[in-house]
Amino acid sequence: MITPLDLITAFLGIIAIGIAVVPFIPERRVPQALAAFGSLAAIVIMWASGETLFAGHTFHAWLWTVPGLGRMSLAMDRIGALFVFITGLIYLPVSIFSAGYIPRYTGRYSLKAFSAWYLALFASIVFIPVCGDILSLLVVWEVMSITSYLLVVYEHREERNARAGWLMLVMSEAGTLAMVIALLILAAHGGSLDFAGIRTGIAGLRSGTRWAVFLLSFFGFGVKAGLFPLNIWLPRAHPVAPGNISALLSGVILNLGIYGIVRVNMDLLPITSVGPGLVVLIVGAITALVGILYATVENDLKTMLAHSSIENMGIVTTALGAGLVFLAAGHATLAAIAFVAAFYHMINHSVYKGLLFLGASTVDMMTGTRSMDRLGGLIHRMPWTALAFLVGAMSISALPPFNGFASEWLTLQSILRSVELSSIGVKVAFALAGAMLALTAALAVTAFVKAFAMTFLGHARSELANNAKRATKTLIVPMLILASLCLTLGVTPTYVIPTLDRAFATYTHASATDALVPPFFLATKTNLHGLPADFVHDFSDLGAQSGKNFLPGRGLVVMHRGGEANPVVYAMSPAYTFIVLLLLLGLATGGVWLFAARRRRVVRRAEWDGGVRRLTPSMTYTASGFSQPVRVIFQSVFHPAVEEESRRATAGHFRLAIRRVHRDVYLPERLVFHPLTRLAQWIAACCARMQNGKLNTYAGYVFIVLIIVIIVGIVIW
Amino acid sequence: MSQWVFAGLKAGIVTTPYPRREDHAHGITPGRPRGGVVASPEEIASHCPVGALAATGEGITVDRGRCIHCPACRADIPWEETYEWATVPPEAKEAEVERPFRRSLHVLVVDAGDCGACLSEVGQLNNPYYNMHRLGFFITPTPRKADLLLLVGPMTEHMKLAVEKAYAAMPTPKRVMAVGTCAASGGIFGSSFVAGHGANEVGSVDVVVPGCPPPPLAILHGLLLVAGRAQEVVER
Amino acid sequence: MELNKLEKTLHDRFFERLTTRISSSFLDIECSTADLIEVSAMLFNEQACAFAGMIIEEEDVSWSLRYMFYNDHGMIQVMIAASHDQTEFPSISAHVHASDWHERAAEDLFGLSFSGHPRLGEFILHEQWPEGTNPMRRGFDARAPFSHWESRPDWEPPRVFDSPGAFSMPIGPIYSGIAESVHFQLETIGEEIVRVIPRLFYKYRAVEKLAQGRSVGEALLLAERFNGTSSFAHAFSFCQAVEKIAEVEIPQRARRLRAFLAELERLRHHVAALQGICSSTGLAVAASQAGILEEEMLRLSGVFAGHRYLFGLATPGGLTRDFTDEECRNVAGTASSIAQRLNKLERLLTRSSSFLDRLERVGIVTKDDALRYGLVGPIARASGSGRDLRTFLPYGGYEELLLSPVQEEEGDGYARLRVLFSEARESSRLLNDIAADLPSGDVCVPVEMRAGWALGWTEAPRGAAFHWVRIDDAGNVAEWRIIPPSFVNWHGFHLAAEGFAFQDFPIILATFGLSAAENDR
Repeated sequence: MITPLDLITAFLGIIAIGIAVVPFIPERRVPQALAAFGSLAAIVIMWASGETLFAGHTFHAWLWTVPGLGRMSLAMDRIGALFVFITGLIYLPVSIFSAGYIPRYTGRYSLKAFSAWYLALFASIVFIPVCGDILSLLVVWEVMSITSYLLVVYEHREERNARAGWLMLVMSEAGTLAMVIALLILAAHGGSLDFAGIRTGIAGLRSGTRWAVFLLSFFGFGVKAGLFPLNIWLPRAHPVAPGNISALLSGVILNLGIYGIVRVNMDLLPITSVGPGLVVLIVGAITALVGILYATVENDLKTMLAHSSIENMGIVTTALGAGLVFLAAGHATLAAIAFVAAFYHMINHSVYKGLLFLGASTVDMMTGTRSMDRLGGLIHRMPWTALAFLVGAMSISALPPFNGFASEWLTLQSILRSVELSSIGVKVAFALAGAMLALTAALAVTAFVKAFAMTFLGHARSELANNAKRATKTLIVPMLILASLCLTLGVTPTYVIPTLDRAFATYTHASATDALVPPFFLATKTNLHGLPADFVHDFSDLGAQSGKNFLPGRGLVVMHRGGEANPVVYAMSPAYTFIVLLLLLGLATGGVWLFAARRRRVVRRAEWDGGVRRLTPSMTYTASGFSQPVRVIFQSVFHPAVEEESRRATAGHFRLAIRRVHRDVYLPERLVFHPLTRLAQWIAACCARMQNGKLNTYAGYVFIVLIIVIIVGIVIW
Repeated sequence: MSQWVFAGLKAGIVTTPYPRREDHAHGITPGRPRGGVVASPEEIASHCPVGALAATGEGITVDRGRCIHCPACRADIPWEETYEWATVPPEAKEAEVERPFRRSLHVLVVDAGDCGACLSEVGQLNNPYYNMHRLGFFITPTPRKADLLLLVGPMTEHMKLAVEKAYAAMPTPKRVMAVGTCAASGGIFGSSFVAGHGANEVGSVDVVVPGCPPPPLAILHGLLLVAGRAQEVVER
Repeated sequence: MELNKLEKTLHDRFFERLTTRISSSFLDIECSTADLIEVSAMLFNEQACAFAGMIIEEEDVSWSLRYMFYNDHGMIQVMIAASHDQTEFPSISAHVHASDWHERAAEDLFGLSFSGHPRLGEFILHEQWPEGTNPMRRGFDARAPFSHWESRPDWEPPRVFDSPGAFSMPIGPIYSGIAESVHFQLETIGEEIVRVIPRLFYKYRAVEKLAQGRSVGEALLLAERFNGTSSFAHAFSFCQAVEKIAEVEIPQRARRLRAFLAELERLRHHVAALQGICSSTGLAVAASQAGILEEEMLRLSGVFAGHRYLFGLATPGGLTRDFTDEECRNVAGTASSIAQRLNKLERLLTRSSSFLDRLERVGIVTKDDALRYGLVGPIARASGSGRDLRTFLPYGGYEELLLSPVQEEEGDGYARLRVLFSEARESSRLLNDIAADLPSGDVCVPVEMRAGWALGWTEAPRGAAFHWVRIDDAGNVAEWRIIPPSFVNWHGFHLAAEGFAFQDFPIILATFGLSAAENDR
């Protein structure tokens, strides 16, 4: 029998062979080789993590001993397996996509280097959740940071890319520093570098230390997860990376930040008070809102997607925070539901954001621009890309039957369950977070209506868009794989929820499966499986048992049951909804075809333009115009939008030209980083004043220092 | 806002009884000259500044497509205070077999060089005195939903393209109605280097409502004619 | 300033470079092309004269360009003459901005070019006309169909606003329910209108050209029918020009009745404009109430004058028909009752905050801008710069009538609404004054045509309407120029709409109450 460990070894072998072989392959074959190695490795690692995630085969393996520090180890539990599985899930289509995508760099940049880094990044990402001790985690984490930096600045001859990559590296290292301190505190108190050792040795930590570990790890991993206000690097780095790497950055690497937060605060040092959970909740909600606000007004397709990634990480974090609060407050079941919501959303985000980034990169590749103000009308030239992007946009806008709906719905429902909590303050925080998420959801629709409509519908707004090439199958197939995943994940929440629930059962000691997926398929007249009889009766009248004979599992209805007073708190079934939608669509199409289309002749005419001579592309709504109302309403967020206005006039009356330029300063930069920069400069300026070059001043300094040293010495003595 | 409810109620109903009964109110029509037997037809015809009057033997006929009811012939021949002026041109009579708009009619009003008076009279159909909605006639701003192209003005060169585009954008079945003397024949502006000879420049005209400007009831009569809900009044 | 003082001031500055002649309330200045800019800038900016318009006449061997100014003492004509092969003249519109569109029109129609004007071309004649087509030139045959159109598949309108994501929103020429054909190019980046470029002359019918060589009677038909909604005012203005050439004094009764009819038309026009404002704000009951009043005014005109839009009444020498004193008093009585109902409507409107919100501080034209663009009529009076020709340069029957001037200062939509209401009240009062004291006598005298030229003017419902007519030796119209108020006010329309949001645009348009037919002529 093949164990997960064998598979992981095989995976490592494939990657190693790949990295070793690529330099010897002719340049034009490199893309195919990359795709082959990448997808093969992805399949192997999905198999490996699947064994753990679905079948529960966890493993632990000792590696070698580092003198003076301890032994390094690999350990795969369900939660680690979940992250590894998602990585494989995204890497598979992205690797295929790369075969069609990276040839665009031929002759300008080295494809071989790209492939080597790409595979190394894959390995490092996979190993982060599998590390069983602090030492190996740090090593792999740094490999991941550096390879991802190298890939972001792959087009290194662009000034902008180098700057963005630099900022990403600096922020990432600052985060690593905080993370290291947090882990070292744990190691010091747990007396071991090994996770298992820490878990057993950590008990009885003072609350101050707990807070310190929480804050440091939340800060450290929050940088990677793109949480507010540590995300200034993200909207710069994600768009400048090559398209396939952007998909990985948003679809996979952001998850690692969440992984870190979970590993430290739920596994190694479980949070016991409500406070940290609330911090996570509020930071998450603010991240989501700020992210979507910028996504809505952004006109660069990839930058917009990067801001939207921030938003989605915010939603995941909010749900996570809600779960932590519920757990600390003793509502284990609600906590389980919230965690399920959080990780469901994280998976969904990986899938649809991967899809959207691939779509955006295809558009970029085929037109040469990412500016929505210059795109438009691409649905005619790139119909499959448009279809895939539309699925992604509908998913991210949380429209049923796609996956975003199921997880966002669960997230909002979990937050609404704050009525079960006793503290008024916590309730208010939940209410605020809920309101912010609701606003976020609404703005997300606006943002993606804009992204899809401005890119694919209407007139081509520039020659670039007009001359768009058709996308090749190598590019389209991966997008369609991800699009079908969006649909699958969307209609099968009753299968996703138990899988996720099992991953967290260790920490919550409660089951979301029982709370959310009633066993309608299993219930018979004689064995009700814990459901009240009239309940089963009512719901089978509604059709909740349809499919019972040929589908495995507990049922297709997601439902949360309350007490006697409110037997059903909330319920939905994307699966049945999907079937009904299909039926209605079929009926409508059939009806139109039967009664209208066959009898009438369809005549196509040019669009109605009010009678002008020519409707030029400059006469159609632009992306900026579409989001202008949002910009006006949320002026206080975008302010100060540096606005240059120049008017060219002759003799004051004839206005021949008006020019207006907006330059938004990103909110966290304005609120946090610019003040910090100014503070640093101010301190530097103060220090500079001390350096006046006079000998007696320096003598004075020496004297003052001496006195301070003496006083301190006396006090300590 | 309740004040408006009371103000509206207090005004009562002012709507014309037409088309159920004739409307006899004063000032609803400018009137127009009537042809017939007169004493010295040649001399009277020569008074007309637009050549709308023609002598035929012992009588006189009025070319409705040219008459702008200026008062030049007021002293010479009788004028009639009628308003059911809409006519169907002979070529349209043959072409039409069905009248698909009996219940409702969506009208696209296009100004092709009108002086403002015809347009103002069309606008009156929306006010409570005429209230064309009660008869199922609606103004639409887009040709996509329009059944009837209501044209005013002599068809200026600059509007020709727009009118052609609007006509092409209308779904079939569709009709064209020329309102006013300008739309009927080009009137006193057409045809010239910049103005055409009326609505027939764009397509076959189905109903003509002559007049300068035709009063609202005449336009209403034209709409009813398009809808197949009224008869032409034949001039004797 | 009185004209003789003005003449002296001019001589003090320009010495003998100017030739001036002065007759009763008419100052004629002939100057060289080189002095033109300075003379007109001095009149417009220093002497606060209003700019009426530019009149270009092509003669066999020469051009004459007349720049018409006026103040409350009379007309001032600055004339330059040039040989026929000179086609370039200095543009005065940098100093007299009101002449901007006049120069653009002249460029299109006569093929003259104005050096210093930054935006000539494609104004009256749209893009399909070949270069060098100048329909107002003498050799151009107006009645022959024109056929050599240029197809311009790559045509694009000029744009002013440049910003990432800026676009222009095209409106019209076919838009809205019942609207005149105008095209607006709104340049924007969403929400706020940064620049409005109205594209007019979709309805250009070349009436001035069509009248060439026609009899006065035929030209009069064009004068009253090129703009049906203020037909009488234009016919009135045209007749005055013709009567000045023929040097006829029209009977006192006709003068009073003309003023009576002009006020009747003004009242009807203002009611219609108010109806437009009410419906633009979506206030259905108010729009219906105003609609009822408008139809009643039309019926009143129909009953009284035989035509709902007062066509066919004015004629050189007087009026085509007489009215009894009794009829006039009845009309005045009905007008008073309509004015009372207007008062009631105004009271209701000023109590509807949802209505006022859409008008107050929306569509503002400042007094400076109004003066610089030379705006006229109710729009100018709402911006505090009203020059009502009825009191400023009284004409026709207005010399003996007492008018109280209407003026508001804010220049926003609400000020324009108030001006319309006040003027409607004032018109109804004038109707009663005139009907109460009608002199007896004839209403028409025969007119013997002779050669010559003259300028006639009236305060049409939308503002100052000038008609300049030259009669040839045969007694026919040789040249005719109309300077309608809408032409002037359309020029300034962009001032009101810029900086406001899309949803305010139809309301601003309604409060301006502009006519495309009157502008496009």
